[in-house]
Amino acid sequence: MKKRLALGLAAVLAVSTLAGCGGGSTNTTTAADSAAETTAAGEQKPAEETAAQADNASTGGQVEITWWAFPTFAQDGSNPAGTYEQEIIDAFQAKNPDITVKLETIDFTSGPEKITAAIEAGTVCDVLFDAPGRIISYAQNGKLVALDDMFTDDYVEDVGNEALLNSCKSGDSYYMYPISTAAFCMAVSKNALEEAGAMDCINQEGDRTWTTAQFEEMMKKLNEAGFMGATVYCSGQGGDQGIRAFVTNLYKSSVTDDAVTTYTINDEGGVKAMTKIKEWVDNGYMLNGSAYNGGEDVDQFVAGNTAFTTLWSPGLASQRAETLTENGIEVIALPFPSEDGVPALEYLVNGFCVFDNGDAARAEASKKFIDFICNDEEWGPKNVVKTSVFPVRQSMGDLYSGDAEMNFYASLTKYYSPYYNTIPGFAEMRTYWFPMLQAVINGDSEPKAALDDFVAKANQSIENAK
Amino acid sequence: MKSTKINKIRMRESLVSYAFLAPALIFFVVFVLLPMGMGVFTSFFRYNMKGMSFTGLDNYITMFKDEVWQKSLVNTLLLVVGSVPLTVFFSLFVAALTYEKNPVTRSFFRCVFFLPVVTGTVAVTVVWKWIYDPLNGILNWILKSAHIIEKNIMWTGDKKYALWAILIILITTSVGQPIILYIASLGNVPKDYVEAAQVDGANDLQVFWKIKWPSLLPTTLYIVVITTINSFQCFSLIQLLTSGGPNYRTTTIMYYLYETAFKRFEYGYANAMGVILALIIGAISFVQFKALGGDVEY
Repeated sequence: MKKRLALGLAAVLAVSTLAGCGGGSTNTTTAADSAAETTAAGEQKPAEETAAQADNASTGGQVEITWWAFPTFAQDGSNPAGTYEQEIIDAFQAKNPDITVKLETIDFTSGPEKITAAIEAGTVCDVLFDAPGRIISYAQNGKLVALDDMFTDDYVEDVGNEALLNSCKSGDSYYMYPISTAAFCMAVSKNALEEAGAMDCINQEGDRTWTTAQFEEMMKKLNEAGFMGATVYCSGQGGDQGIRAFVTNLYKSSVTDDAVTTYTINDEGGVKAMTKIKEWVDNGYMLNGSAYNGGEDVDQFVAGNTAFTTLWSPGLASQRAETLTENGIEVIALPFPSEDGVPALEYLVNGFCVFDNGDAARAEASKKFIDFICNDEEWGPKNVVKTSVFPVRQSMGDLYSGDAEMNFYASLTKYYSPYYNTIPGFAEMRTYWFPMLQAVINGDSEPKAALDDFVAKANQSIENAK
Repeated sequence: MKSTKINKIRMRESLVSYAFLAPALIFFVVFVLLPMGMGVFTSFFRYNMKGMSFTGLDNYITMFKDEVWQKSLVNTLLLVVGSVPLTVFFSLFVAALTYEKNPVTRSFFRCVFFLPVVTGTVAVTVVWKWIYDPLNGILNWILKSAHIIEKNIMWTGDKKYALWAILIILITTSVGQPIILYIASLGNVPKDYVEAAQVDGANDLQVFWKIKWPSLLPTTLYIVVITTINSFQCFSLIQLLTSGGPNYRTTTIMYYLYETAFKRFEYGYANAMGVILALIIGAISFVQFKALGGDVEY
């Protein structure tokens, strides 16, 4: 009897082990079909029809979607990550009781790997809040639902920025729905500059543009006064766009050609910039940052250990405001210096994508949720402000009226350079950038040879991705 | 008739045994064997987010020509060669010293050396990151205060020091368990053998080498194999501390595999690296078993 009981229990245990392997979805309509409708051969079903299909699919009951969010929205006070996102969900669910949204917060360190693993395991979320770099690579690999029906003529006209809209596209279809944008820039410590008598090296008027010569003069004065400039951070991968923009601006180079089809940073300007950076590291103007990642570079700046950083944005300014105040550091944000004083800036775009999880109802619910976050009369503008940057929709107007610093950041949008994060193989290219920089500043390679090698590998990554 | 009944009982007992084994076995097959098999299988494919296409041995050929893979293999071997003997000798040395002490002292040292093991790699690495920090690290401060160095050294960013910096952490996080095992193992050495040797006039070194060491061989084998495998699979330290830099100086096979799979999305190529890594570990473990796995003889 005991044995039979034990056998029974063991059988139950065995079956329960397998239970997790079963499919979890109760909906029957497949998003794969729906995605095919919106992506294949450029034929697109009318939005109304797709929506009706979704309504039919969800008639039977509740649709549950999952939202994975990087910590892009600022939290109120000391609230933990996800608190504000949950407020959005509560507001959305109050208006859409037939849709349940499950939130999962992810971080920039382990989040990308988690997404990759989940895509392969078929357990990825429905909605992801991220940026075009990763999102478009998912789209290029056929993992996303096209969002063309969300890009109505009115919306496209309201955004009115072709470069920005193109950053949301793969091929002819839109895969990322943008909410906010801002230029990446750099920042200097006013305290350090004043102490070093270097305030005259920077321009605080207008768009605060300045030249490479002024920048070098500033570093010289800082060095003479005993300040460490900034780290040429090149560990990890995060924040790599900051150093790339710094390099390209110094002597009018560019990461890619204007059509964003091939890498060109090994041009004369790029080589000259890398040579200069190596020289600045060697003479102590800047710190060899082989041991620092982007976040750590900002940490050093915020702690007052370095006098400037090449990784700054309105978002970072907002996130680090409290610590800067505690440390008594006053920050002046600046565009990157360039030879002629006209910068070409990289920019961030925050936006949402929908993963193709084979369920049309979930895909439609996800779009509805994204639409609420970005376009709800009350929550849309509020959410933009929580990203600490600027709305992509011009109709939202000036959300930071009276804030001179935000007005400055807004003024930088006119210096946007071609957006290359959507180039095929972008993720692979990023793995070559910091090793190249490390090779140069550690004296393993000459700037020209290192950049040529980088460009060869980066161009090969475009081919690999095809 | 009696025999049939016995067979039935045996059969039933076997079934019960298998039923109890089943959950663990199913788990093992589904989550260990199957992924391993898939890993080997997909290593013959160009496998990325877009899909899979059979490429035969291309991934392996590319890998052996890949300069970064070659560098990562050398780095990995350096870490193994550096960490395994040092871990074994240091833990044996500490165990031999503390074994003779009173129980309180013994427990204290066991705690001290085991602390990095229970603390977790991430926490330990964060502390080491602070120790090695080029601007504010305590190591630079101590060495400068002692006038050993004149200016700060970038321990994890300088090609001359980066791998050594990793090796030191690897050793400090690896010695805890071996020390515990050696102390336990020393307690199992037959006391009468030791006493007999001492009566025969053997000195401490002879007692250790002729009596204790043979008894410690099975433990040593275990420690050598486990430490070798752990060193080959060194990943978290690299990811958290150097991300493989500077210029691939600390890239190990495991880190390069991770980068290939999760940053470049080349799963097939990453799996080929995994297969070769497993073969290397298997071959080295085989040699270690052959060299250290003999019966204990006094």
